[in-house]
Amino acid sequence: MSTISMAHLTKTYGSLRAVDDVSIDVPSGSVFGLLGPNGAGKTTTFKCLLGLARPTSGRVSFDGAPLMAETFERIAYVPERSVLYEWMTAGEHLEMQRRSFSRFKPLRAKELMDLFSLDSRKRVRAMSKGMRTALAVVLAFSIEPEIMVLDEPTSGLDPINQRSVLRLIIQAAARGTTTVLSSHQIGQVERAADHIAVLRDGRVTLSGAVDDLKAGHKIVEGIFESDRFSLNGFASDARVVRVEKTGRILRLTVRSDGDEIARALSGMGALSVRVVDLNLEDIFLNAVDAGSPVDVVEGS
Amino acid sequence: MPAVLTVDPRSGVPIYLQIIEQIKRSVALGVLAGGEQLPTVKQLALDLTVNPNTVARAYRELERDEVIETSPGRGSFVRNGQTGSARAAASDVSADALARVVREAKSIGLPAERVRTLFDAAMARWFPEEA
Repeated sequence: MSTISMAHLTKTYGSLRAVDDVSIDVPSGSVFGLLGPNGAGKTTTFKCLLGLARPTSGRVSFDGAPLMAETFERIAYVPERSVLYEWMTAGEHLEMQRRSFSRFKPLRAKELMDLFSLDSRKRVRAMSKGMRTALAVVLAFSIEPEIMVLDEPTSGLDPINQRSVLRLIIQAAARGTTTVLSSHQIGQVERAADHIAVLRDGRVTLSGAVDDLKAGHKIVEGIFESDRFSLNGFASDARVVRVEKTGRILRLTVRSDGDEIARALSGMGALSVRVVDLNLEDIFLNAVDAGSPVDVVEGS
Repeated sequence: MPAVLTVDPRSGVPIYLQIIEQIKRSVALGVLAGGEQLPTVKQLALDLTVNPNTVARAYRELERDEVIETSPGRGSFVRNGQTGSARAAASDVSADALARVVREAKSIGLPAERVRTLFDAAMARWFPEEA
C-alpha cells in the first residue's frame, strides 16, 4: 500500500510548467528521495503535495484519501526556506508546536535540542543558517509524525549535524514513518533513501529503488585492436543510453546489468571488456544530462 | 555481533548486496557462529547509517538462502546446523570470487585453456595433497 500518492500532478505559472505530469507513489515506511537540479520543481512538488500550492491538475492522496485538515496532524514539514519567526525564541517555537500538534513530545524535543546544541532562549534573529535548519528539524521530529516532508533538511549544517539528521531519518523509518526527502547531497540520499525519483524541468526522468537502479545502470567498456570497429547497432539498442567511441575504446552507458552487452562486445572481438558500476551520483547526472536519448560521442 | 560489517554506500554495488556478501563471508569464516544473534534491522541500519528497508531486504535474502533464520519477536540468528549454512555461504562467496577472476581473465584476452592452466597451477599450490 502506498501512503503518499501523487498522480499526474501539474502546476503551471503562466507559461512555465514548474511541475509537469509528475506521478510518484511512496510506499508506507519508505524514505523517498527527490533529486534534481535547482529549479527542477522539487519544492513546487512538495507544496502541491501539502496543499500549499494548488495543482493545475492532478491528484494527491494520503492513504487513499485526499488531503484533509486532520491529515496535517500526522505530517511534519521542513520547508526549504525558513518559516521561523525572527523575533521568537527557539523555546517559543517549541511551545507553538506543542499547541498545534497533540502528538508533540516534550521530552523528545528536549533531547533533540541537546543533540543540536540549541539554546531555547535564543531568538531566531540571532541564529546562523545552520541553527535555523536544526531548529526546523527539531520542530519536525519532536511530533514523531507518521509522514515527513523534508525539503533540504541539512542545508547549512556541519557534517556532524548532517549525520545526526540522517540518523534521525533512519530511526524514524525504522519506526515506520514515511518520508519524502529532497537534498543536493546525493551521498545522504544514497544512504537514507530506498527509493528515488529524478526531476528535470518539472518532469520525472528516472525513478525506482536505489539498489535496483544501481544494479540496472552500468558502463560497459571494450577495447578493440584497431579503431575500425562497427558500433553494431548499439546506438539503436533500447538498453543503451550513451555511446562513446574514443579511438580503440568503446564505452556504453547501459540500463541493464551489463552482462549481455559485455558478451556482445567480446563477440565483436574486443580485446578487453569490463563492466563498471555506477553510483547514485553517476546515475543522477546521466538522468539530468539533457540530450538525445542516445548520444553518440566520437572522440579521438 | 562484532563490528564485521562496513558498507560503502557511494559504491555502485547495491548496499543490500554488500551486506549479504559480508554476512556470508563472516559466516563462512566462522566470525559469525551458528546460533549467533544478528543485530536488529533498526540497529544495523543505524550502525551503518543506511535505510532500514535496505537492511531488511538483505536479511530477507539471507533467510531465503538459508544463511540466517528469523523468529518473530526474538530476532535474526545465524542458522544452526552451522556447518551446512557455513559451507553454503563459503561456496557462494568463493563462486563469486572465482567468477570475477575468470571474467577478468577473459576480458584481458586470455584464451580458455590458458585460464584453465592458471587455475590448475593455483589448485596445485593450495591443494598439494590432491595433486
